[in-house]
Amino acid sequence: MLRLKLALLNVLRNGRRSFITLLAIQFGVISLILMGGFFASMYEGMREGVIRSQLGHIQIYQEGFNQFGSQQPEEYLMNAEVLQKITKLVEDLEQVELVTPRLNFTGLLTDGSKSLAVVVEGINPEKEALLSSAVKLTAGEDLFEEDTDGALIGDGLFKSLNLSVGASLTLMATTADGSFDARDVTVTGAISTGTREIDNRFLRMNLQHAQGLMYTEGVTRLVVLLKDTKHTDEVMALLSDAFKKQGLALELRSWSDLADYYHEVVNLFDGIFSIVQIIVLAIVLLGIVNTMVMAVMERTPEIGTIRAMGGTRSEVMALFISEAFILGLIGSVLGVIFAIFLAQGITAAEIMMPTPPGSSQTYPIRIFTEADLLWKNGLFGLLIAVISSIYPAVKASRMLITQALRFA
Amino acid sequence: MAVVKLQGVSRSFPLGNKQISALNKLDLTLEKGEFVVLRGASGSGKSTLLNLIGAIDDPSEGEVFIHGNPLSSLSDKQKSQLRSQYIGFIFQAFNLIPVLTALENVQYPLSLQKVANGEAKKRAAEALAQVGLADFIDRRPNQLSGGQMQRVAIARALVTKPEIILADEPTANLDSETSKQIMDLLGSLNRETGVTFLFATHHDFVLSRASRILELKDGHIVNDEQVKNLNLVDQIPPGEKVEY
Repeated sequence: MLRLKLALLNVLRNGRRSFITLLAIQFGVISLILMGGFFASMYEGMREGVIRSQLGHIQIYQEGFNQFGSQQPEEYLMNAEVLQKITKLVEDLEQVELVTPRLNFTGLLTDGSKSLAVVVEGINPEKEALLSSAVKLTAGEDLFEEDTDGALIGDGLFKSLNLSVGASLTLMATTADGSFDARDVTVTGAISTGTREIDNRFLRMNLQHAQGLMYTEGVTRLVVLLKDTKHTDEVMALLSDAFKKQGLALELRSWSDLADYYHEVVNLFDGIFSIVQIIVLAIVLLGIVNTMVMAVMERTPEIGTIRAMGGTRSEVMALFISEAFILGLIGSVLGVIFAIFLAQGITAAEIMMPTPPGSSQTYPIRIFTEADLLWKNGLFGLLIAVISSIYPAVKASRMLITQALRFA
Repeated sequence: MAVVKLQGVSRSFPLGNKQISALNKLDLTLEKGEFVVLRGASGSGKSTLLNLIGAIDDPSEGEVFIHGNPLSSLSDKQKSQLRSQYIGFIFQAFNLIPVLTALENVQYPLSLQKVANGEAKKRAAEALAQVGLADFIDRRPNQLSGGQMQRVAIARALVTKPEIILADEPTANLDSETSKQIMDLLGSLNRETGVTFLFATHHDFVLSRASRILELKDGHIVNDEQVKNLNLVDQIPPGEKVEY
């Protein structure tokens, strides 16, 4: 009890030095929380962006589609009967918000003077409007069911063809039976998915119109949107079981399986975060070691006295480590509190970030302060403080008593 | 049984390429209850001798026994335990912990012995009362005079009921009047408690209070004079050999 009190009093003994140590710990904790919170918000923004603009949470295909579908897409279309069966199974799950079909193919879009290869997506406009909430309309109006020949054009494509809303274009494609056909489409608007590559060659049209062009009643995939991303794995397992029981030869892919770019970015930023963590660790560690070594030097006679009175080496070590623990605890708690305020302030300020590489949209800085992030970094600050004290504490404990007493 | 016994103890220190001898083949026995004054010129080896007896330094040669235990056979931790139980220190600069009150300073050695907090407080308060500081228990060292600080240091040395108290120039930082008061206090504590005292000092007035005077010169005891009879020794039951 008294020894703990001594540690606490020693922390208060040299206010300026303790203040500097606390600042170093807080700097570390705040930096890591803000950076971690920013990265977490970025990851979430990217994840929800790809889910709600392109991928949905789960996609369902005919078995073999992902292996051979690119060569023979017409062989791996799901027919209307299967589609109805799957839709019923999926919609029965409480975690599911909606399920919608898509027919994907490539085609050639021409305005009469210029032709460009495009990626076409036949969609159910009403359901897709809910699923693709992250897709932004940059010109014109959204696509509706009654726009039978309407088409939404990727923002980049819209600009490169110098299009205007209401423009009439011709879309040509290879049909399901291998022949070649064309349909007229009318531009209802331009959209941005947030990914520039997609926006440069993307076209969305009514499913029936796309099926008419392709001479098919089938669809390439069913896209499932869940009420929450965290249910993805659970729903994947449930659907996989249900399809097996029904004897349906289908394949499932989660958003995570499909979002290669997302994972590349996350890995890159995790790497950056690890390097920043090491740098912060080094700065804080050196700062604390320096002040603790000064404290040891200053208190050399005290260390000698404690040892002369019968204090063991481990007791001297425990004294300095206790002091570091107290400083670490106070510094970490204050660091977490300040980090929360700063994160809220920065988020509220809505500072816009420049457009990231490969993206076509800017976004405001948001910093998450999830409990997990807070306690992990708080603990990190505490551990750094304790680890930093080990060298000075060992140094103190190994002092020769006679030499230490000479400094009195 | 002798409280302290030195057999052929030498201590030398490196100085450049040479070894400087501070103590040379010293034999010495201190009995329980003795009030021994160690005198000698600066550099005669007084502090070195106190350090060796206090188990805070090791001899280059020979053996030191405390309560029958050869120090060379003890680990650092065992020596710490031995100091905690059998040895009290009084320093010239008092060496009080500045952030603790007088009571807490005295309580500290007991906390190292893992004495319960309540019991430690009680014993510390009693020790402070014994040195006449009952009214100063809540004061910090910077709120005490030099004499009062040394009294706190004495109480701290006494509170664990050691076998021997080692004092290196305990009055060097005090004025003559306070020094005399401190020596009177130590003398009376010696008589009351039977604890053995060994002082290194250059103050001559201390000699009149001593039961034995040791004079060191160039690392040798050149004079070992018994000046008073020790009535106390007979009253104190012999201690048992302590196993570490």
